[in-house]
Amino acid sequence: MAATSPPGTGLLKGLGVTVKHLFRRPSTLMYPYERDDLAPRTRGVIALMDENCTVCMLCARECPDWCIYIESHKETVPPAKEGGRARTRNVLDRFAIDFSLCMYCGICVEVCPFDALWWSPEFEYSEYNMEGLLHEMEKLREWADTVPAPPPLDDGAQPPAEVADAIEKAEKERELAEAKAAEQAQAEEQGADAGGGAPAAAKAAEPKVEAGQIDQETYDQLIAEGKSERMARSKAKAAYVKKEKARLKAEADAAGGDEAAEQAAAPKPAEVHVEAGQIDQETYDQLIAEGKTERMARAKAKAAYVKKEKARLRAEAEGQAEGGDAAASADAAASDDSEQASDGGAQAAADAPAQEARKLGDVQVEGAGEIDQEVYDQLIAEGKNERIARSKAKAAWVKKRKQEQLDQEGDA
Amino acid sequence: MMASLTHATTTVAQTVSLFDGFDGFVLPVILKLVFVLAAFFVLPLVGGYLEHKVMGRMQHRRGPVEAGPFGSLQLVADGIKFIQKEDLIPSAADRWVFAIAPGVALVPAMLVFLVIPFGPGVFALDFELGLFYALAAISVSVLGVLMGGWASANKFSLIGGLRAGAQLVAYELPLIIAAITVAVQAGTLSLVGIVESQATFQLFGTGINVWFVFPQIVGFAIFFVAAMAELSRPPFDMPIGDSELVFGYMTEYTGIKYAMYMLTEYAGMISMSALMVVLYLGGWQLLPGVPLPGCEAGGGLFDCSPTGIALGVAITIAKIMALVFLMVWARVAYPRLREDQLQRVCWLVLVPLSLANLAVVTIAKVVF
Amino acid sequence: MTGHDVIFVLVGLLTASAAILTVTSKNLVHAALFLAVTLAGVAGVFLTLAADFLALVQLLVYVGAVAVLFLFGLMLTRAPIGREALDNQKRGLAIAVSGGLFVLLSTLIIGAVGSGALGETSVAEVAGPRIEDIGIATFAEWVLPFEVLSMLLLAALIGAIVLARPESGESGEEAEVTRIEMGDAPSSEGPQPLPDGSAPELTSGQGTEGSS
Repeated sequence: MAATSPPGTGLLKGLGVTVKHLFRRPSTLMYPYERDDLAPRTRGVIALMDENCTVCMLCARECPDWCIYIESHKETVPPAKEGGRARTRNVLDRFAIDFSLCMYCGICVEVCPFDALWWSPEFEYSEYNMEGLLHEMEKLREWADTVPAPPPLDDGAQPPAEVADAIEKAEKERELAEAKAAEQAQAEEQGADAGGGAPAAAKAAEPKVEAGQIDQETYDQLIAEGKSERMARSKAKAAYVKKEKARLKAEADAAGGDEAAEQAAAPKPAEVHVEAGQIDQETYDQLIAEGKTERMARAKAKAAYVKKEKARLRAEAEGQAEGGDAAASADAAASDDSEQASDGGAQAAADAPAQEARKLGDVQVEGAGEIDQEVYDQLIAEGKNERIARSKAKAAWVKKRKQEQLDQEGDA
Repeated sequence: MMASLTHATTTVAQTVSLFDGFDGFVLPVILKLVFVLAAFFVLPLVGGYLEHKVMGRMQHRRGPVEAGPFGSLQLVADGIKFIQKEDLIPSAADRWVFAIAPGVALVPAMLVFLVIPFGPGVFALDFELGLFYALAAISVSVLGVLMGGWASANKFSLIGGLRAGAQLVAYELPLIIAAITVAVQAGTLSLVGIVESQATFQLFGTGINVWFVFPQIVGFAIFFVAAMAELSRPPFDMPIGDSELVFGYMTEYTGIKYAMYMLTEYAGMISMSALMVVLYLGGWQLLPGVPLPGCEAGGGLFDCSPTGIALGVAITIAKIMALVFLMVWARVAYPRLREDQLQRVCWLVLVPLSLANLAVVTIAKVVF
Repeated sequence: MTGHDVIFVLVGLLTASAAILTVTSKNLVHAALFLAVTLAGVAGVFLTLAADFLALVQLLVYVGAVAVLFLFGLMLTRAPIGREALDNQKRGLAIAVSGGLFVLLSTLIIGAVGSGALGETSVAEVAGPRIEDIGIATFAEWVLPFEVLSMLLLAALIGAIVLARPESGESGEEAEVTRIEMGDAPSSEGPQPLPDGSAPELTSGQGTEGSS
């Protein structure tokens, strides 16, 4: 008790507080007669949009209380196109949630990949019997209609990723259409101007062209025709871009042919990593000689270098695969080495091929039930127990078979 | 029987109860019994309703709203519910003691109502030892609490019973001393006599008529605090101590027996408040020195017309409910004391203070 | 036989049977409860004999305080919870002591009052004294014995406190041990001077809270 306040002040203060509250409005909500505005994400009940459900069973498996019951059957869907493959599809027969077990953790809603489960703010579903709390699909579907729209985002918040994507896509399409329309209009105008103006496609997304330069020829012509300087410049610019694009496209077509061929030859070109940052000097010189700007030439040369290098590496890899040189592909070998070390089997060490880089998993091997007798015997001799030896031997056999297959391919 | 004895044995002209105005012996007795029972069963419910509502409003709630108009029949509904509930007796409990304990607590609380004057002539009995009788009856209630606490065969109940025993015996002392002080000042132990003496009491010969609460404000405070402790009302509810002892001596009680304990508590609230009204607040007087309208014939206290009687009863009950409100207010405002603080407050503060108060009043009485 | 007689006999029978149950009961708490009934019955007997003040004193002091303290002490120390029995087998000694007491008291009372005083007045004529008369008799005529008795009780009270105090041990060492076992000593509850010698601030004023 502070020395300043006489004894009993605290007691009176307490009485003062309570009596002050006696005359405040009670904050009671007279529930059955009036209802509160529930928060948009109220966890009232779990609703089901059964048309979204694919019977993936994720919800039922994740449910900590095991209170979700799902039954389904498979149906064959006829092929969409003539000669296509018939598909099977899961059809939901029963989806029930036992709300006497449910603890409203919301994991099922969280985990549903197809937005079939939702939180509904509906909460008046009490029952006189516990059995009555087991609600079937129909009831859950009814609740799905009560799910409110999500609350609006805060000002300045980023839109959800999928929405942003959709907007971007729509925007792009719109721009493309505009550009096309502009091009057409330009073409018509050009016709009227007797080949004067060049169509503008400045905003075309690809191929990218360095803007800022003008087509001197067009410019001169336009000036001679008596156009204003500004107009002439912009038209010349557009003409330059157009020309450049046409040229690039032609180039790309030519290169594309090569690339397609190369891709056909190589199973997985993406696997080959090439150190970037170097340029193909030959390409560079040539482009400079052609009168390209320094930057453009450098970029093209770089791309050419990468392309060449990839091709070279692939050729090399194939060559090495035939030779059985394990050290050829560093990253692939490293992962394989660790596997071997843990195996403890000497056998597999010889099997560290470059083909590992091309993913042994890509190669299908049939007959997984067989074992490599040699590895098996060796492991048993080393004192491993029967089960481990068997599984390792099996793995060794599969690896061997894969190796053989890859070798054959390489030979071919 | 007691009435006849006291009337036969005392020579002082006692004020007569309204019910003695009827002829014969049986009819007045029946009427008195009905009156006492009605007061015992109705007033605690009114007090309980007041507590529900006041507590609710102080906590930003509404209190009961559904049962009856404005929820006024909530406690009646509670009572019906308690009667319907299964009457459980723990298998390890001492069946007989467990069963009769609530009755042992309830009956003395009911007997107190016998002597409380609710208005001019509105009492069952006015005898010479009224105050002493009320205090003696209140003191017996402890026994029921101790019995219930022990018989439940439950450690929480036992500790609750023990706490109740220690608390009730301790706080009886300042309560009785404060009451005795009033009796000394009034010169009588009769409750009606005390009311009467307050109507004529003059403050130190100045001619100003006051109630005893003014010269004895310390005694009133002691009596009020001790009464709350006697009733185990918060902040003195350690015997129940629901955060530590489950529900103290009532832990094992359900149904009608539990209701009996609760009725004891609420009836105790009413009877203690009524005693305070009689001892300190001038009984059924409207204001100090103002004769009750309709009672002019009897000096503003007795021989009232029916309206005067009704007004007197209304005033008494209003005063009782005001005190009940104070108790509820204290309950909402203050947290529960610790057990040692409780005993400390009693033995180191209230008992010395009440003794000093008694000494001062006695000396003043002799001097003036 | 008047109504008074009937009630007197009934109350007497109740009191006597409760007294017998008190000494024969195997359960200590039951015995204490029967004792409370006996004491209340005695109060009833006083009431039927028109001694209502004495009856109320009996009720207030013996039932409301002594019996409660008995029960309280039993529960605090060794009362078995529930139905278990707790009994000793010293019946013979108890009979001898109580019989001796009975003989002593009855001879004393008969000697003091005189056998002729009994049975002469009818019940209807018995009138208890007024409370004022009792008060005047106690504090005027018999004030000396009253004060002697109160001094005796005070001495007993102080003796009990001295016995119960933890410092009652002969050596200071023993008292110290007791203090540790009790949790906190009375002396440690007051404000202790701080190490720098200044008086500490009181954080809670238990003493003043109740007095407002």
